[in-house]
Amino acid sequence: MIEIRDLYKSFKLSKQQKREIDAGSGDFAHAVAGVSLACQPGRVFSLLGPNGAGKTTIFRMIATLMKPSSGSIEVCGHDTQAEPIEARKQIGFLTGSTKLYDRLTPLEVVKFYADVYGVDRITFERRVDELFTTLDMNDFAKKRIGKLSTGMTQKVSIARTMIHDPAVVVFDEPTNGLDVITSRTIIDMIRRCRDEGKTVIFSTHIMGEVNLLSDDLAIIHRGKLCFNGTYAAFKEDSQSESLEQEFIRHLEEAA
Amino acid sequence: MIWTLLKKEFLDIARDRRTLIMSLGIPMLVFPVMMIVMDKVTASTKKTASEKILNVALVTHGGAEEFRRMLLKEGVLLTKKGSIKVQEDISLEEGRRLIEADSLDALVYFDPEFDRLLSARLPGRVSVYFKKTTDVGRVESGRIVDLLEDYESRLYDRRIAELGLDPVTTLQPVEINKFNLASEKEQFASVVGRILPYMFIVFAIMGVMHPATDLAAGEKERGTLETLFTTPATRLQILFAKFVVVVTSGLMSALVTMGSLYIGLQFMGRKTGQIDKAIGSILEPTTIIAVIALLIPVTIFFAAVALAISVYAKSFKEAQSLLAPLMMVVILPLAISLMPGFALTTKTALIPIMNVSLSIRAIIAGTAQPFHLVLVYGSLTGLALMGLFLCSKMFNRESAVFRS
Repeated sequence: MIEIRDLYKSFKLSKQQKREIDAGSGDFAHAVAGVSLACQPGRVFSLLGPNGAGKTTIFRMIATLMKPSSGSIEVCGHDTQAEPIEARKQIGFLTGSTKLYDRLTPLEVVKFYADVYGVDRITFERRVDELFTTLDMNDFAKKRIGKLSTGMTQKVSIARTMIHDPAVVVFDEPTNGLDVITSRTIIDMIRRCRDEGKTVIFSTHIMGEVNLLSDDLAIIHRGKLCFNGTYAAFKEDSQSESLEQEFIRHLEEAA
Repeated sequence: MIWTLLKKEFLDIARDRRTLIMSLGIPMLVFPVMMIVMDKVTASTKKTASEKILNVALVTHGGAEEFRRMLLKEGVLLTKKGSIKVQEDISLEEGRRLIEADSLDALVYFDPEFDRLLSARLPGRVSVYFKKTTDVGRVESGRIVDLLEDYESRLYDRRIAELGLDPVTTLQPVEINKFNLASEKEQFASVVGRILPYMFIVFAIMGVMHPATDLAAGEKERGTLETLFTTPATRLQILFAKFVVVVTSGLMSALVTMGSLYIGLQFMGRKTGQIDKAIGSILEPTTIIAVIALLIPVTIFFAAVALAISVYAKSFKEAQSLLAPLMMVVILPLAISLMPGFALTTKTALIPIMNVSLSIRAIIAGTAQPFHLVLVYGSLTGLALMGLFLCSKMFNRESAVFRS
């Protein structure tokens, strides 16, 4: 479960950034402004928005990589600012841009993350066997990551994200730049997470994935939510012919 | 947790060829290769210069017959090793022009009044013209000058004998006896002790720079640092693991340099047969321990600064360009410490880097005062702690970690 309440995140602008944005923007840029949402266990929450809308900043704050300027986030009942380590133990975090240690093998990377999360040896062996079989990774488990394809590397990233069996999974554009087959593996993994009762929050620019996976949905534009509800409600209230058009309509209304 | 992080960092860096080359490969080979190459090049240069047939022009105006004979005899005697080819029918101007055009090696010009002045027991003037732009040129001109000095020495002895004086007592009114009470170790340290700290410190930095760049800016660029920050490991634990790896790399580099130096000196020692004892004295266990004890805090400081800069940098390339001036900052006090007159005092013991250089020299010479060493160690530890504090601050700064 993730609960976000009245979340704000502001960044101090440099002189050059102020010139680049506009004259009246002041000293701070507000990446996230007053966002509140809740992601439930056993459901997939899609966070949509154009580039620079604030999605990654929210994900980074959930994963305790960044501190909110104000507001709060709870992950499985743990406040991310008061108990960051407890919150992190519950999270599996994967982004499309994340890379791995090129000089290590998939097995070494996954073992390292298992050790960091305190997974015991027996559980590790069971989970590794399960994940490597599901993701079809056994053929390249002992090859250096630097020699693997993008698709193979992303499979390793999924394995390291899931090795500690997190209760909450954060996927930030996980299929970005991947081929159809690897994207399908990730979509299947997200579904599996939902079926296992995990809380899943993810972002994507591919509306097909939203349609396939979403239980709940929020649209963010310039740091503010312009839709927050169930996917069923989003579709039901749609005034457009397609998902894309409805998404754009929401953004235009918010602008 | 720390052990897990350390294991990963060591495994990752141990498989990085560039780090291995920079931290171990180059320090391991530097001294043996440098000494072997220097030895070979020097020997080869000397051989080339001493064996070369020298083209020498001689202008005597019919005088200086004795020298003329010596020069011609030298030419004959040295035929096997390289001789002197004498050319006599030449003017001073022509000779100078030929030397400038590299067609002549030297011109020996005796003043027209040379013989007359010599007979009057006055100094006869002789000028040697040559072009000395290389080491080979220095050896070549030296061969002619040596011959002239030999000639002068003969004339000198003859004059003293003609006056009925004893050449030894006449020429030595005062017998000066010099006693250098500096031990062999101290004398050796005054030479080697200037170079050694420089090499140790430079290689400690080199050993620190690459892993620091790779483990912070490199990880940031690759996106692996962000993932690591989402785990239950605290930033301090992550930093500590990276820090230990970087410090280890720097120390390994300095220690390998020390080993490399030992091998290099063994090689030179065998060649010269003179410095074995001195080598033994500087490589005493107490000296080695004292030098390492100094290198630890200074390496910690370098590692902390390099990591802090690397964390701040956006990319691997930016980290490299930001770290380059660090080398300059270090070299300046090192260079000052090499100047004559600088020794370990209460003041210099507090100047970073310079204090390490001067301390290592004093330790090798066996003249280090415990009080000064305590000051040096204290100031370096303070500096290392400041570096660590700066580094941890930088690691916890959102704007530095996500700078883009």
